[in-house]
Amino acid sequence: MNRQPLLHAARARLCRGAGLSFIFTLPLFAGMASASCPGADAAALGWLNRMSHSLHEISYNGVVTLQRGGDMQVMQVSHAVDGDSSSERMTRLTGQGAQVERRDHPLHCVHPGHRLLQVGAGLQAGECGIADHYRFKVEEGERVAGRKAVRILIQPLDMYRFGYVMELDRETGLLLKTQTMGRGDKVLEQFQFASLSYQAQEPASAEVNLVHQARHPHPATAVAASLAVPWQVNWVPGGFTATDAPSGNAARRSYTDGLAVFSVFLEELGRDIRPGEGVVRSGGTTSYTRGMDLTGQAVLITVIGEVPVNTARMVADSVAWTN
Amino acid sequence: MMSERMRESLSALLDDEANELEVQRLLGQVQDDEHLRQTWVRYNLARDALSGHPLSATRVDISGSVRAALAAESAAAAAGWKQRFLRPVASLAVAASVAATVVIGGQQLVDIGADPYGQGGQAVAASASPVGLVNSLGATSVQASYGTQAVPVLQPATHTAYRELARLRMNKYMQDHVEHAALNTPQGLIPFARVPEIRE
Repeated sequence: MNRQPLLHAARARLCRGAGLSFIFTLPLFAGMASASCPGADAAALGWLNRMSHSLHEISYNGVVTLQRGGDMQVMQVSHAVDGDSSSERMTRLTGQGAQVERRDHPLHCVHPGHRLLQVGAGLQAGECGIADHYRFKVEEGERVAGRKAVRILIQPLDMYRFGYVMELDRETGLLLKTQTMGRGDKVLEQFQFASLSYQAQEPASAEVNLVHQARHPHPATAVAASLAVPWQVNWVPGGFTATDAPSGNAARRSYTDGLAVFSVFLEELGRDIRPGEGVVRSGGTTSYTRGMDLTGQAVLITVIGEVPVNTARMVADSVAWTN
Repeated sequence: MMSERMRESLSALLDDEANELEVQRLLGQVQDDEHLRQTWVRYNLARDALSGHPLSATRVDISGSVRAALAAESAAAAAGWKQRFLRPVASLAVAASVAATVVIGGQQLVDIGADPYGQGGQAVAASASPVGLVNSLGATSVQASYGTQAVPVLQPATHTAYRELARLRMNKYMQDHVEHAALNTPQGLIPFARVPEIRE
């Protein structure tokens, strides 16, 4: 246990940019199920931890589908581990000919959302972490992309978040399928591998006319549109933590609970706006825009993320200027 | 200090998603809780702003809806238990509408400061009592109707302009948001598939 933080501290400079200390410890799962954590299930949390590691540490490539309502998109994904860093790529096979790349991501660079999934050590210390906000259960899974899966049922313990059904590769822990469940167990969105190979090499490339380099939160590359006056979000649901450390004047804040992410955007308007709100939903994503007067300044607040509209509204309502 | 749970209920109420217990609890608490009232008015201002009604007209509509609810209640009472039994969902929505009425109708709108409707001054609710409307109509009979009576539901106003604005903002901000989803959820780069049009 003890040597892990040391090892990572030595490399931390590569990843630290956003002012987050990416120090973590590898959790142990022996006898960790604590009766005091409402959603704790040792087996499920063990799988969750394994999933968060496999995502970074395994090489694979495959075809993934995204279904939202009647819409289906297909994409090619690949993930290659080389030494102590990984590179990943997502290529759209339907619709826009776009590709997203993330190169040379250090393996020790664990962002807050993934750290939240690694709750083993905390449970022993009496911290429930994500098990405070979701109830977990393991079931026999189905076959996904030809692989036998274990199914993790993830049920929210409050109304601030959605539920999930995840299918993990029984051998590797890789996440093969995610269903986002809304109110009344309605499937809002579904990601699923259609084919999968545990090889780094991806097959011949599709036609691509745009390549986007995925960003990595870092103050130096921070949001261009800054505001004159610093602002803050005074309320987020329990278990959500900031994904990076933007300045008080930055136009965006993002938060994660390990399974969901939402972002808050603030725009100062040059003229008054008729107060109101608008909501658009797309699959598991809610986009909530609110026009209002924030102590003398007309603003537009947008909360966008994989959370119910209630959550978005309450977050928007808590935005205030920092005094 | 207003509890998180109460604000959550308020928001749910607005979407007609609050359950009967929540409605009753809210009714009990808004009388004593100034913050709760203010939050409720802010939520409603946001929601109703584009209905095209000035605030005063909104109040008139709302007090009318209580009368309609009460009238329908006696009509439904005559209709027999079967029909009442089969309409619990509608009743819940009505309970929410009535609760909205209670709070808005009694709210001293001067509290919220701004006058977003350009009426050149701060609107002040007609009743001095925080829950004047319900008191004048009889709080007991309104509460007694929850969950059992079928009554007309107020249709939410259309919010075409704000919906369009929300759609534009979703397109504008989705990619910035997804950059964080891609690093902080277990799906890796897959969330980029949610971006309508990926930019470089």
